[in-house]
Amino acid sequence: MSAKPHRVVTATILMLMSLALLADDNAKTRPQRIVSTGLCADQLLLLIADRSQIASLSSFVTDPNMSYMIDAVGDLPLNNSSVEEVIPYQPDLIVGSSFAAWDTTRFLRRLGYQVRLLNLPTTLEETYTLLRDFGLWTGNEARAEAMVAQMKAEILAIQSRYAQRPQKSVIVYSPNGYTIGANTLEDDILNKAGYRNLAAEMGIDGFQQISLESLIAAKPDLLYIDNNIVNGDSLASAYIAHPALDRAVAQKDHISIPTPLRICAGPMLTEAIAYLAAKR
Amino acid sequence: MKAGNIKLEAISSTVLLGSLSFVLFIVFGTAMMVGPVDISLLNAFSPDQDTSMESLILFEIRLPRALLALLVGATLGLGGAALQGLLRNPLAEPGIIGVSNFAALGAVVVFYYGLSRAAWFALPLGGLLGALLSVVIIFMLVGKSRSITTLILAGVAINAIGGALIALVLNFAPSPYAMQEILFWLLGSVANRSMDELWIALPFIVVGWLMVLSSGRFLNALTLGEETAYSMGFDVSRNRWILVLGVAASVGAAVSVAGNIGFIGLVVPHLLRPFVGYEPRRLLVSSALGGAILLLVADIAVQLLSSGGEIKLGVITSLVGGPFFLLLILKSRNMML
Repeated sequence: MSAKPHRVVTATILMLMSLALLADDNAKTRPQRIVSTGLCADQLLLLIADRSQIASLSSFVTDPNMSYMIDAVGDLPLNNSSVEEVIPYQPDLIVGSSFAAWDTTRFLRRLGYQVRLLNLPTTLEETYTLLRDFGLWTGNEARAEAMVAQMKAEILAIQSRYAQRPQKSVIVYSPNGYTIGANTLEDDILNKAGYRNLAAEMGIDGFQQISLESLIAAKPDLLYIDNNIVNGDSLASAYIAHPALDRAVAQKDHISIPTPLRICAGPMLTEAIAYLAAKR
Repeated sequence: MKAGNIKLEAISSTVLLGSLSFVLFIVFGTAMMVGPVDISLLNAFSPDQDTSMESLILFEIRLPRALLALLVGATLGLGGAALQGLLRNPLAEPGIIGVSNFAALGAVVVFYYGLSRAAWFALPLGGLLGALLSVVIIFMLVGKSRSITTLILAGVAINAIGGALIALVLNFAPSPYAMQEILFWLLGSVANRSMDELWIALPFIVVGWLMVLSSGRFLNALTLGEETAYSMGFDVSRNRWILVLGVAASVGAAVSVAGNIGFIGLVVPHLLRPFVGYEPRRLLVSSALGGAILLLVADIAVQLLSSGGEIKLGVITSLVGGPFFLLLILKSRNMML
């Protein structure tokens, strides 16, 4: 009685292992049923892959607060990034974010699926590498290469258009008092747009909290207040609603990039740079 | 021990309150000086174009923070002294018997579901109602029993229910940050608070204080038992309600802007009780001053120990208060069992 389920399990495992071998073979050819489980991978699929290669996108891609590509989704099926929803598509490639639930990824890999994860780039150069890798994984190298070339050309054009304007200093302030320090993609974007990020100069690395006092004492030319995902009823947004901040920025411009333009790798980053450079 | 107590009792109200006020003044001044940025007080008081930043930091960031620590600390000290007198139980304290958690629960419901925008007083009122509910439950459970065990067991249960409901309400709150903010409500903080929070809590806190302070003579009479208090002309149930409402209003409002900061109301009255000759009425004002001093010191410690991501106030007060509480249990076990 107890032996039978074991045999079923063994058979299933063997079947899955053979599936895994099949998947390995397929990886050498161009994937035809790609499932994405994360927003950034969704967007890159829509930008770089053929529409016919896409089996399903994550539901994040329709979130108006974060997605840059809502209009391009059309009738593509959506999933909620769970193993159960991904498997029915029998994907030959699964793409997602490296910071998504690692146990889901491990589970999918154990089942023999090919899973590729996007790292969070910390510079524009890493973004280019990521785009090229993505082109390689999905069999669209030429399109990815063209996208990188276009981004580089656009950034150069933006920089020469605003070359006469003086460099300005800036600090980013987000809900919960977080700021953007060195070694972040946003820091690189600020630099490319002609800003000095004072938080990075203070020695802040990555995303960290900054005290309101230090922020005010640093006297930045501009404040970049991240109020895109604000909900009035949280203590987190009370940080960016502090009256002292209002006073400190009363005579200053403050800027803010729409979230969809800055949270993922892709050509939307040049739009963010253009927006920032124009505000300088 | 006995001789020590007699000597301590000799301290007059003037000397005690005078020295507590003096210490409070020093500590408040220190709190205004401490922060992540070094500023010159001279520049802050006479700002020009270059130094307006320093006055901004002093008056818009440090002043509201220090004032809030003072008000909340005083409220918790006073609330502890009042509850200990009312329940005639040395372990009664807003945090331990669950009043603070229920106040936080009331505030959380109001805050995260947008009710706080309906009226300025909605937030402290939510804190008041939560606090009131828990005091009434405690009173019904503990009643006239002076048993420490009953009080602590009721407190453990009410605290657990309050904490669980806070987590539940925040789980369903329509804010992406709600779950992270559970730490604020359970451990308290006065960081990044502005005059706005001070103004909305102040009326409730002051009214609560006045109600509690007016009950001093009633608390004195109560030490002799309810019958004696009654025979001395006190309307026991009316006076009890005044006291309960006063504690609920002040503690509720304080928690609704600063979260649940534990142990102040336990430690302070205990430290000061020998100095006031074990007289509940005299304990009230001195506990308020002592609570303000202790919370300001704790907030200075918070700022010295952490730079960017701040330690919550309740972490410091619990680290000091927890061991104190254990000591108290050991002592009371020796005395009462």
